[in-house]
Amino acid sequence: MKRPGRDDAPDRLYTLTGGRSGSGPDSPFDLVTLVVAESGPTVGMQSEHAAVLRLTQAPTAVVEVAAELGLPVSITKILLSDLLAAGRVSARHPRNSALPDPDVLEQVLVGLRNL
Amino acid sequence: MTAPAPSGDRSTIRSLLPLPLLTAALSVLAVLWAVASAPASAQTLVGCCGAAAAVLLCVAVTVAVQARRAARSVRAALRTATAEAERAAQERDLQAERWRREHQRHTDATAHERARLAEEFTRERALRAQESEGERVRLAAEVRRLSEQLDRALGDRDSAIAATANAAARMQALATGTLADLRAMEERHSDEEVLADLLHLDHRTAQAGRLADSVAVLTGARSGRRWARPISMESVLRGAMGRISGYQRIRLHSVSDTAVAGHAAEGVMHALAEVLDNAANFSPPNAEVHVYVEEVPAGAIVSVEDSGLVMSDVQLRRAEQAVSGDAGGLGGLTGTRLGLAVVGRLSRKHGMKVSFRPSARGGTGVLILIPQDILTTAPSPVRRPADPPTRNAPPRAPEPDLDAPAPAEVTAPAEQLPPQDDGADTPRTGDGLPKRRRGRTLAAAESARAAAQSVERRTDPPEDIRTRANRFGAFRQAVRAGGAAERTGGHPLPDVPDDSHDTPSPQTETVHGGPTPSHPEGDTTS
Repeated sequence: MKRPGRDDAPDRLYTLTGGRSGSGPDSPFDLVTLVVAESGPTVGMQSEHAAVLRLTQAPTAVVEVAAELGLPVSITKILLSDLLAAGRVSARHPRNSALPDPDVLEQVLVGLRNL
Repeated sequence: MTAPAPSGDRSTIRSLLPLPLLTAALSVLAVLWAVASAPASAQTLVGCCGAAAAVLLCVAVTVAVQARRAARSVRAALRTATAEAERAAQERDLQAERWRREHQRHTDATAHERARLAEEFTRERALRAQESEGERVRLAAEVRRLSEQLDRALGDRDSAIAATANAAARMQALATGTLADLRAMEERHSDEEVLADLLHLDHRTAQAGRLADSVAVLTGARSGRRWARPISMESVLRGAMGRISGYQRIRLHSVSDTAVAGHAAEGVMHALAEVLDNAANFSPPNAEVHVYVEEVPAGAIVSVEDSGLVMSDVQLRRAEQAVSGDAGGLGGLTGTRLGLAVVGRLSRKHGMKVSFRPSARGGTGVLILIPQDILTTAPSPVRRPADPPTRNAPPRAPEPDLDAPAPAEVTAPAEQLPPQDDGADTPRTGDGLPKRRRGRTLAAAESARAAAQSVERRTDPPEDIRTRANRFGAFRQAVRAGGAAERTGGHPLPDVPDDSHDTPSPQTETVHGGPTPSHPEGDTTS
């Protein structure tokens, strides 16, 4: 287990989401959903929301947003759902053609196993 | 002669009568004798002369008798007066004697009484002295006993407080460790139900930690945590919020971008948590508690307004007194009302001012002034430094897919880079240690150092890069058993600047300073 560090953030995750732990069954977000900001951050906004809006000026995957925020993906999804409900971001799934060739992926897999 | 006369004179007159009468009779007889015996011629003359002589004799006798009688009566009166005087003198002597005796008696009685009183007084004084001596001894023993008891009580109190402080410190450490563990678990588990349970546990543990913090503050132990960097006001408020049970009813309205200095952040957070807990506990279970932050020249004012019970003047005064911090002792604490005492201790420690007033929302408003000297204007960059590179993240994101798992391989050495070869633009202290500039946080300093490292690494001797390229080439060879060999040969360092110029942002320097240390490495090897 992690030792308590001196640089952990003092705010607990449930305070970011107001106690919610899931974004609901109809959440459009999964790990690779691309998120784009529809507006800039405004004054008085929760700082995570503002950070998301700054991050997603170009389409960004949910998992990447989570990594940049340093938050678990589930929590990030809740924040994104809030923003989506407020109309500040829009979400879309990546096109299938953006995925690399399965052949390449298989070769990567083989290479990894050989390491 | 028998004429009525005063009765007093009668006896006198009567007593006067016999002798003159006798004289008159005798003289009459003598005159008669003389007349008879005298020649007839001379009888008339003798009779007249005899009669005159007889009358004169009678008068003389009468006067003589009268005089004798008067003398006798005067003598008698004199005798009487003398006797009277003697009697009076005797009386006086007697009186004097009696008075003397009386005086003597009284003098004797007084002297006796005085002697008796003196003796009694002496006896009494001796008795009192004896008693007071006994009392003094008893009191001295009592004082000794009490002071021993006091010493023992003080010793007991000190050791009890020390034990409590020690236990509280350990509980704090446990809670902090548990919270970190929970955070790590929350990162690891993405299942919503598990996450909900973990968050629940997290919340409970945070409250337990706050209680341990309170005990530690009251027993004068070291404060629980110290933050190495300033904590933004939003995080302070949320950190405080996360430690109370009714955190979902707290509404934050903060546009402040101030931050609380790291050494004071924990105390401010704890004090705020206690105030918020009071506000949430003393308002209806579904009423919201509003928190506003206002920046003033003296610092920042956090106002907590609830819509619960209106505190009376007496309660307000008592609360003000409780938080004024002048209650030095632990006396008067009850088990359930630790909050205000904790707030008092913390506000005295950090120079905060707490005041109470009726709130316009119908409840009570608490104003907390956080003084300027524990505020910094630098926003707490928990995630701010992460922001700029992310603008370039999208173009970079798909690349690792195409370019094989190289970053994953090179990340490890990059993390192990020792800080001793860090960049030139990091300010250093005299002994060569990197120095953090005021207002810059550790994260910013880290990123600057990472940027310097990346610059330095890019100017590495070509051999180093070539070895790494060769290693990567071997890996590629293993993947594509065939024609990867000529690609490894054709993969020298000139690629590097191209890749770094790919990034469209003008903030290229900060890009390399991003918190993803694998970035420059990935560029170097791609």
